[in-house]
Amino acid sequence: MKKVILITFIVNITFSFAQTNCFIYPEGSGERKACELSYKAIEHKQGSRESQILFDSAIAIGPKFAWAYYEKSVPYFKRGFLYEGLQILNKAIELEPIEYLCYRAYWYWQYKNYELCIQDLETYYALPKAYIQFTPGGEKDMRIILALAYAKTGNYKKGVEIINSCLNSYESDSDAGLSDYYSLGIIHFHNKEYNKATEAFIKQLEVNGNMADTYYFLGLAYKNLSNIEEAKIQFNKALSKFEDINRNLNINAGYKAYLSDVVKEIESLKY
Amino acid sequence: MRNILLLMLVTFLFNCNETIETKKEYKNQIGDTSFNPNLDNPKFKFCDSTKVLHNRSRISYTGGERALESELLKRFKFKPEYKSFNGYFIIRFAVNCKNETGRFRMQILDSNFSLTECPKELEEHILAITKELKHWNHAVLEGKDYDCYRFISIKLINGKVQKS
Repeated sequence: MKKVILITFIVNITFSFAQTNCFIYPEGSGERKACELSYKAIEHKQGSRESQILFDSAIAIGPKFAWAYYEKSVPYFKRGFLYEGLQILNKAIELEPIEYLCYRAYWYWQYKNYELCIQDLETYYALPKAYIQFTPGGEKDMRIILALAYAKTGNYKKGVEIINSCLNSYESDSDAGLSDYYSLGIIHFHNKEYNKATEAFIKQLEVNGNMADTYYFLGLAYKNLSNIEEAKIQFNKALSKFEDINRNLNINAGYKAYLSDVVKEIESLKY
Repeated sequence: MRNILLLMLVTFLFNCNETIETKKEYKNQIGDTSFNPNLDNPKFKFCDSTKVLHNRSRISYTGGERALESELLKRFKFKPEYKSFNGYFIIRFAVNCKNETGRFRMQILDSNFSLTECPKELEEHILAITKELKHWNHAVLEGKDYDCYRFISIKLINGKVQKS
């Protein structure tokens, strides 16, 4: 896990530095000026008038400088202006698909358009120089998002295949992400493969047992396997975990558990 | 001389174009939504209109997204004339420090996220059921209460609201 965090950190740093190193562009070029202006823009609050005007100036001077479009688009996505955000981000993708396709895919995922998310990620991973990219918060490899998007369209088999290939690409289990095995388990669970789901959830608990969702769905998998005693144990663990304010919130889970689900299950198994 | 004048004219036109490009009108923050008497309830007021946040994750719904979704599903009334609609409603709004909602704005997108239209009745129904959601919890930052904007996205397939 430490390795993943380190890699995420390095990737993010490399990414940020690569994008903001204006010296790689010739002095006096449009791109160099656009880069410098974008740098000034991000000194202002994200989404502020000042930053947007500076990005517009950057784009006017260096229309081939992709990062300006990308940065300009971010507040639109975060604030529900999906259409406007896409119009801007699409230009960054035209210029540098390898850098920005995953970001668009992420917003397609966030806005629950799983077909478009799959389309972008498949295009991305087919690029010869595709590299490991993460969700903007760094909590998930985008291959896991691709797998979950397939699951959301009902293609569980493809989802499992992608997660397994992602997990197999790690040198050791300690490289797994904080919720990778949860994602695998949840897809097996929805595909009614309860034994495989149980295996994956148990593995998840070894990697990171700090999510209430894992205990809840492990309990449900046991319940479906008619192992009621073990189900009760897991539901009660889920209940305790929900009370832990330091638990992992399982962001971008795709399939989440709610406290009300757990309470309902505990009540139903009382007698 | 004529060439110089022509060059000056071209430069002037180019600069004009650049000025137009860079002088779009922006609100203080992307998403700031001014009161529109034709759309907005005049009773909805910000507690402090100078400090409205734009951080959707600061606003929660009692019972979580699950409760929000089930309330929407419960209130949604399907009609056969909605059946041809496939797409998304993205509704932006504000939650003030008293947990009241207002300044609703809606965008309708098709399955490819292009702007589209839908039956007027469906549009009004989606907006109405969103306005009926009452269990919002306003933004709190460092112990202080804030007004804040957020949005929800509602997906419809064959005119029916989809579960997440």
